Amino acid sequence: MTALATALPLRRRRRVRYGVIALALYVLLFLGFIAAPIVSVVAVSFSTASFIAFPIPGFSLRWYWRILEYRPFIDALIVSGQVAVLSTMFGTILGVPAALALARSRTTAAAIVSNLLLAPVTVPAIVLGLALLYFLSSLALGISFAALLIAHTVAGIPYIVRTVLSVYRSIPPDLEEAAAILGASRWQTLVHTTLPLVRPGVFAGGLFAILTSLDNLPLSFFFGSASTNTLPVVMLSYMENQFDPSIAAISTVQMLIAIVVLLIADRVYGIEKLTS
Amino acid sequence: MTAGIPVVDSDAKARPSRPYRLAGPSWVVPVLLFLGFFFVIPLGANILRSLQTGQAATNGPLFYYIKLLTDAYYGGIIAETLKVAVISTVLCLIVGYPVAYFMVRFAGRWNTVIVFLLIAPLLTSIIMRTFGWRVLLARRGALTTLLFDWGIIPRPINLADEPFAVYLGLVHVLAPFMILSITAVLQKVDVRLEESARVLGASAFGTFFRITLPLSLDGIATGCILVFVVTCGSFLTMLLLGGGKVTTLSLLIYQQFNVAQDVGFAAAMGNLLLIIGLICLALQAKFLRRSGGKS
Repeated sequence: MTALATALPLRRRRRVRYGVIALALYVLLFLGFIAAPIVSVVAVSFSTASFIAFPIPGFSLRWYWRILEYRPFIDALIVSGQVAVLSTMFGTILGVPAALALARSRTTAAAIVSNLLLAPVTVPAIVLGLALLYFLSSLALGISFAALLIAHTVAGIPYIVRTVLSVYRSIPPDLEEAAAILGASRWQTLVHTTLPLVRPGVFAGGLFAILTSLDNLPLSFFFGSASTNTLPVVMLSYMENQFDPSIAAISTVQMLIAIVVLLIADRVYGIEKLTS
Repeated sequence: MTAGIPVVDSDAKARPSRPYRLAGPSWVVPVLLFLGFFFVIPLGANILRSLQTGQAATNGPLFYYIKLLTDAYYGGIIAETLKVAVISTVLCLIVGYPVAYFMVRFAGRWNTVIVFLLIAPLLTSIIMRTFGWRVLLARRGALTTLLFDWGIIPRPINLADEPFAVYLGLVHVLAPFMILSITAVLQKVDVRLEESARVLGASAFGTFFRITLPLSLDGIATGCILVFVVTCGSFLTMLLLGGGKVTTLSLLIYQQFNVAQDVGFAAAMGNLLLIIGLICLALQAKFLRRSGGKS
């Protein structure tokens, strides 16, 4: 009887473990699936061949030299960087005060305004881009750097507002109240108490906004001209004409830039604090 | 006197419950002006444009919408859009759920690593990932060669430019969102509920389908709606991997804009896409409110 009772759970546990091993193998396979296209692009970017073949026939850096020679890539990279950083800055300046005002308000109006600020992220970028292009054209702003900047700022605001709202809601008002009671002015309370407290939210939201802006092709392509093409737009038009490894090289460079941005964010702030 | 006391009392009670407010309502004004001008008005103008310009001006305001919904060609494209979105949502769910379950129940300290690996692709551009699939699926690509060696395909053919490649690309981009939506909910499901079911004699499958799955429905719904909406709005994967065989509404908007500049029609198509998204959001709000009321 006791022998049976001890034997039964043992057998059952072993059966379960086979299941877990199978599941773990499946997860490994899935992670391989996630990594496969990215790894193969990085591999192809070092190819000697001028066509796409795998495994690559030899190792060279010629496609990295090619992107340095091909002006549109470099120009577009600079435009992309400027748009990402500036639109995130404007989004922060507009979004953070609003999020601070809305976070502790429980009126219906506040709820409606919060939803409006979060709405641009739910509108497909291609619809927003189309609508903005025609509207800005009627203001004679059509295809310009300013138009591109406005579009990306609209798209970036929700990310910043969302993270600042949630961080500020989790902070009890006591600290600010204490600052006010101890004689700090509104401005001093904001600069020395509130902003340092919500900084993780601003940082995380800003990071999302920058990364989204860098890759927001559906929004950018409406405002394309020689001086306002962002990197994804140039890459798409290049890909529609040619299919050579320089796309792989510029993709790898773009990925490295994103990783560097993230590492800097980690150095300055700490990724652990961003995700918590 | 007696009438005065309750007034003083309620005032004294109300004061501590009102939290300190640093920011006044006026802090919202700049962003409201900005979004009002560059978000609300453009979308509103887009609606007017779809009702008033081009053929809508001569053939009645709803001309473009009637054309979209009744014309066989455009009806087919709407059906294709919904089909692609439904299939990729179901695929993401089937592919992603086991991963989410493993992360919550068994991964332990590896969970952080898996989360990182799921989020890492967001650092790469969508073009890079799509290009990666083209590399793998080209006639001499690694995956094509592998499938040929295993005898799954009779001869090495170009597998990019096929609907298959579109679904592969969509699942690759969207499955992480599905997984993270499900893990968020699954984490809150008490493992003891599953253990009780097993102890009381339920099979592993019975436990999963009658305990785990129903309790994680919230995460499934959030993930499905997210994947569905994003698929409806994306066109790059269809453009670069579909080879012209998968034409959805957003791809048509892109093509219309590049080729024929029918402003009113493009606006109408965009609005239709927006309506699909709004219906999904309303469904999500309804679903979440219902399940929120239960708990």
